[in-house]
Amino acid sequence: MKIAYEHLLSFFIDRPSINELSNKLFQLGHEHEIENEIFNMEFTPNRGDCLSLIGLSRDLNIFYDRNNYVSLYDKPINNLDIEFENHSQESCPYISFMKIEIDNNVNKYEDYLERYFSDLNINKNNFFTDISNYVSYEMGQPTHCYDESLIHGKISFKEINSEIKFETLLEKKIKLKGTNSVFLLDDEVINLAGVVGGKSTSCSKNTRSVIIECAYFNPESIIGKTINYDIRSEAAHKFERGVDPMNQENVLRRFAQIVSDHAKINKIEMLSLNYKKYEEHQIVNDPNKVNHILGTKISSEEMSGILSKLGFILGDSIIVPSYRSDIKHLNDIAEEVARGIGYDELPLEKLQTPKNYKIEGDVIEIKLKSLLIDKGFYEVINSPFVSDGKEFNISVDNPLDSNREFLRNNITDSLIENLLYNERRQQDTIKIFEISDLYTFNKKLNKKRKIGILCSGRIGDNHDEFSKKINENYLIKILEDFISKEKISFKSINRKDLSSKSKNSIISLELEISEFNENIINYNSICDLPENFVQYMPISEFPSTYRDISYAVSNNIKSKSLQKLIKNFKSDYLKKVFIFDYFENKKLDIIKIGYRFVFQANDRTLTDKEVSDIMESIINLSNEIDGIEIPGLN
Amino acid sequence: MSTDKDISPPIIIKDKGANHPINHMKDSIMKLLNSFGFEIIDGPEIETEEFNFDMLNIKKSHPARQMHDTFYVENKSKLLRTHTSPVQIRGMLEKKPPLAFISGGKVYRKDDDATHLPMFHQVEGIYVDECVNFAQLKDLIYKIIYSLFGDGIELRFRPSYFPFTEPSAEVDILSKEGKWLEILGCGLVNPIVLDNCKIDSSKYSGLAFGLGIERIAMLKHGVTDIRDFYKSNLDFLRQFK
Repeated sequence: MKIAYEHLLSFFIDRPSINELSNKLFQLGHEHEIENEIFNMEFTPNRGDCLSLIGLSRDLNIFYDRNNYVSLYDKPINNLDIEFENHSQESCPYISFMKIEIDNNVNKYEDYLERYFSDLNINKNNFFTDISNYVSYEMGQPTHCYDESLIHGKISFKEINSEIKFETLLEKKIKLKGTNSVFLLDDEVINLAGVVGGKSTSCSKNTRSVIIECAYFNPESIIGKTINYDIRSEAAHKFERGVDPMNQENVLRRFAQIVSDHAKINKIEMLSLNYKKYEEHQIVNDPNKVNHILGTKISSEEMSGILSKLGFILGDSIIVPSYRSDIKHLNDIAEEVARGIGYDELPLEKLQTPKNYKIEGDVIEIKLKSLLIDKGFYEVINSPFVSDGKEFNISVDNPLDSNREFLRNNITDSLIENLLYNERRQQDTIKIFEISDLYTFNKKLNKKRKIGILCSGRIGDNHDEFSKKINENYLIKILEDFISKEKISFKSINRKDLSSKSKNSIISLELEISEFNENIINYNSICDLPENFVQYMPISEFPSTYRDISYAVSNNIKSKSLQKLIKNFKSDYLKKVFIFDYFENKKLDIIKIGYRFVFQANDRTLTDKEVSDIMESIINLSNEIDGIEIPGLN
Repeated sequence: MSTDKDISPPIIIKDKGANHPINHMKDSIMKLLNSFGFEIIDGPEIETEEFNFDMLNIKKSHPARQMHDTFYVENKSKLLRTHTSPVQIRGMLEKKPPLAFISGGKVYRKDDDATHLPMFHQVEGIYVDECVNFAQLKDLIYKIIYSLFGDGIELRFRPSYFPFTEPSAEVDILSKEGKWLEILGCGLVNPIVLDNCKIDSSKYSGLAFGLGIERIAMLKHGVTDIRDFYKSNLDFLRQFK
């Protein structure tokens, strides 16, 4: 909700600066951003009472004394004779109507009214609707204006359950479905209660006689309507959070005052209907208990000071003001006191939990993860939502889209997606795993905790493993000590079905965690918080490229110099370098070393020339070492 | 074979893999809390409205119930839990106070953009005993945040609202750039929730807190798009060795 700093100031005797006010608002728990001296407030849903200038100033009254900014129409008002029936008093226990007739059309607004529209950049509509909007901003109570000349017949309030077409005053045509609280003029719906009025009876620029309806609606009867009918409604936002049930007459008198500030009132009449006796909510006044809750030693005088400034009446019990329907028990009172003092000012007290528990995390799982990570596997986490529902997949009633209508019943399919994604990004070796709960539904809900493992490509990027391809034996060797062999059954995945060009075979397993035994030794470290957190570098979206060089080196000392040189070589585009081949030819006393250099830029595809230039500087540098040759290079 | 020690072949460097950064962060926070005396408990990701909402004082009519835009499954008979709080409810129903639990895992909300995902991770804790108060909650939160962000970090407590805690607070830390960043939510367990769990609220009180793992991981690692965590891109995952 947008609230202008200057508008709020007019409610206080002092003029706190915008920064001071902002700090106080945060202390009270009212999050906001400030733009051009406008507070963009984000109130928590329990604080519907703050959705207005008056409401917010009531909360700030802890810090700043208020003036009597809002004046009410105080002349006598005759009784309104109106034909009205309330068939759903539970949904609308309090309602008032006021009829006002004015002399002439109003074209120019008083400064305070004009500034509401100009400062907050709100479009004007017509005189009465404009006042209604302003009063809602000022007092937090929405009202609805009917053009009196269009009301012929009986008005009734009802919960209806039939499908009815309804056109809003903003000319949006909707079809009412399910249960709706509405106002009817005879049989015609003229107002979707608490949400939006209808076009047929709405005010226009020429309206001179108006009926203003001002009600308290039960939040339950309003909730969900704006979403159902895709309507933006400031009124519904307020009614959903609960307006002050005891303020309808005041609000109408304020309305009348604003009218009389602008025009001569010919006729004014009002009718207030209370179908239920309002009962004040009372809480036992127990300052000791409040101190107990907060862990403080606040004096009862200080507590009373805060609470009475917030409108609570203190005696043996605390009487909660009618607009604070969120206050239920002493913990709520403790929060009010704490807000007044400031959460940051409250003391700290050492917390001693009663027992010390041992780590009870899943030991097998932790060990299994460490084992796989040690072998070069990366843990992944995939979305559980999938497009196709086979047998027993759980279906989502309200999916984000048709690609996410079901919950997955296996991990492997996700890992295959991960494999293809990475292969498209020129990764030639992929070793990944995921541990997840999988849910299925077959008469009843079933849960299995599984691990999916998938690998493909070379065993490792080093001269010992470079030419060895991952096969079933590779994964069996890793796992065989920890699970009986007969349980290891591989899923055969055919590259042809994946329209994938790679020829590397895909080795894939999916097993229940409970099938592993606990013999996974030497792998039991659960993660600690790292001392230094990795600062993530954005990933390049551009293709990488590689070059190989085969060196012939005359002895091992030279080989070490070469390795040192290449290790220290720096280039922004050199992403990775490793020895993929190493061979000592004892007869010729020559060592062959094959290096692979992988290049990639963050902002573009590297050209051949750029890569060649870097390679040339590597070659030039290595040529400076005696006894090193690059066969085949002139 | 040569006997000279200097002339050995190059050391074979075997690349290690890595934990997923989100699981790593989650597990390390759980370990930290475990060292503070909290027992690790677990619960299902598919929950009932009763445990996910009703028991936690989130009434059907309550705007908070709309706030969590919830995924329902199997003809609305169940839902994907919108927070890890139902696990605390199950824990409280099972054991008698004094009790101290933490629980972590996947939670689901109907969101999808650069800062919100339909699936994300939370860690939550609860401690119920006689005479648990707000000052102790503050002490615990300071300990947690100092462990995560270092003793020098400046933090502030703001009043907030959760149906299951009262008083409720949100805690912000001050970033290097001088901006307040929301880190966790906490509060004293609402007596209504204790009563719902058959714990006598006139005798016992409790504290509770919850952290979003992605948010902390993004801050700690400098990741700006939450979606990067779940692309399974090896170039990304390799950075978190």
